Amino acid sequence: MSIVVKNLQFTYSANSPYETRALKDVNLTINEGDFLGIVGHTGSGKSTFIQHLNGLIKVQEGEIEVFDIKLTNVKKPKPDLRKLRSHVGMVFQYPEYQLFEETVYKDVAFGPKNLGLSQEEINDRVKEAIELVGLDYEKYKDRAPFELSGGQKRRVAIAGIIAMKPKVLILDEPTAGLDPSGKEQILSLIKNLKEKCSPTIIVISHDIDEITRFANRLVVFNDGKVAFDEPMKELFKHQQELVEMGLDIPLAIKIANELKAKGIKLGENIVTMSDLLREIVIAYNKKNGTDIDVSKIRKSVFNFDFSNSNQEEVFKDE
Amino acid sequence: MSAIELKNVSFSYVLSETEIVRAVRNVSLEIEEGSFVAIVGHNGSGKSTLAKLLNGLLIPDKGTVNVFGIDTKEKSTIYEVRKNVGMVFQNPDNQMVASIIEDDIAFGPENLGVKREEIIERVDWALSQVGMLEYKKGTPFKLSGGQKQRLAIAGIIAMKPKVLVLDESTAMLDPQGRAEVMRVAHELNKKEGMTVICITHYMEEALEADRLIVMSDGKVVLDNIPKLVFAQSKELLDYKLTVPLATQAAIELENLGISVGKDVMNKEELVERLCPLL
Repeated sequence: MSIVVKNLQFTYSANSPYETRALKDVNLTINEGDFLGIVGHTGSGKSTFIQHLNGLIKVQEGEIEVFDIKLTNVKKPKPDLRKLRSHVGMVFQYPEYQLFEETVYKDVAFGPKNLGLSQEEINDRVKEAIELVGLDYEKYKDRAPFELSGGQKRRVAIAGIIAMKPKVLILDEPTAGLDPSGKEQILSLIKNLKEKCSPTIIVISHDIDEITRFANRLVVFNDGKVAFDEPMKELFKHQQELVEMGLDIPLAIKIANELKAKGIKLGENIVTMSDLLREIVIAYNKKNGTDIDVSKIRKSVFNFDFSNSNQEEVFKDE
Repeated sequence: MSAIELKNVSFSYVLSETEIVRAVRNVSLEIEEGSFVAIVGHNGSGKSTLAKLLNGLLIPDKGTVNVFGIDTKEKSTIYEVRKNVGMVFQNPDNQMVASIIEDDIAFGPENLGVKREEIIERVDWALSQVGMLEYKKGTPFKLSGGQKQRLAIAGIIAMKPKVLVLDESTAMLDPQGRAEVMRVAHELNKKEGMTVICITHYMEEALEADRLIVMSDGKVVLDNIPKLVFAQSKELLDYKLTVPLATQAAIELENLGISVGKDVMNKEELVERLCPLL
């Protein structure tokens, strides 16, 4: 078990007219190897929750155990925050706004430097991190981050976090504001990071069609509480409740519902677009006596082909 | 009549002596008054630069931009241009100037020298257009992202522009906030006849426009009604874009030999085409 959260409560601006109870008794265990998606509408408490996990917000009530580090409201002994933050890396929304150094190298090196590592170790980690996010180290290390494209800047910002080799990587809306190809690149980067760097990944997303493509477990925040915590495929048994909470459900489920309402028989367990396509093919084969092979359905419905794209071009558009 | 006319417009950013970025390259366009136009393009395609050329925030290096017949190059009439073309940007937190909502909305018309009585009227009108009249006396800082962006729109329309430019105004919002902002934009277009130019990364938003312009590498590469643009899915991929998810599903079904047509744009159409086949 990586992270155990017990009875966590949090109130902003306590004892003032603006008092807001952001978290009301949150209990959650995050296991090593989880690819966890967190959904919930704005103000549901999900950002407040993740900021607790690496000590950006102090625990008011309840307790959190991150690996062997205990976070409570007891002031002494102080938890080892440096160690905590080397274990849990946090990539905020629009992380490229937080790039501040003159060169890509310096920016990525900032974290490892603050961990007190040797120069040699810092060098190695910076090089490794820049290459892990898919940028050529020699080519980019001396560039100013501000000359890069939006997607590249975001990758540099992520490199700065993974250079600390966190065991748990948390990303808040990692694809927001990117164009479709930038989104695909970041999504495949996250999958790659899970394999090669941080075995436990937590992603906050508003895009349910996107998050169902990779998360294996989904946690829904609503009104400061964990409303649902289910394996990805199971969550949508509660689709009625999700809609009532003002949350979106995957397009594939909506289409399946409408088809079923018109009397068409489809199998169960439709969540992603490839699930839907599989069931449509099966139903089609049955009705028309054809034998279209379901294994021919591509996993990612739209396969992006980046072989022709010129990623070296530097534009200043934003 | 065209609201905005671009003739052979080019614009470059000079980064250093050796590095010049040609952000907009020889673009010619006419935006019809009263139309709802979406502009899509990959990051760095030049669409935000194009937006800033529309109200004289940037002046073209080559070519001309005419706004209701006024050349944006003319310094003496630049305020006339800005009054006609209002812009709403991406970040909801960067566009508020006052701590009380009605003051925030009044800021624009005040600066245009509008009379007090009329400002009061315009503030109420603008807030009711975006469905936020009851928040008039409140503070903007406690609102959701979608509400803040609707306020930003109210602040702009209080200046009574003829053209509203939304430069990725929904990018930082949750799905609900996005829907609110798009609903307001479409209402302004339909009820008030306002010309709307919406720059976006969301193909589903682009689908709702009358006309869809695709930019790539500083040039306009596709320009048609959305349905016909999305029918060119191969080209869109080359321009690092995509098509709406329902269209992706339809294309995949076509590839497998189930003919639903590649021109399916949304879930209703997909369901309609599938029903007789299953």
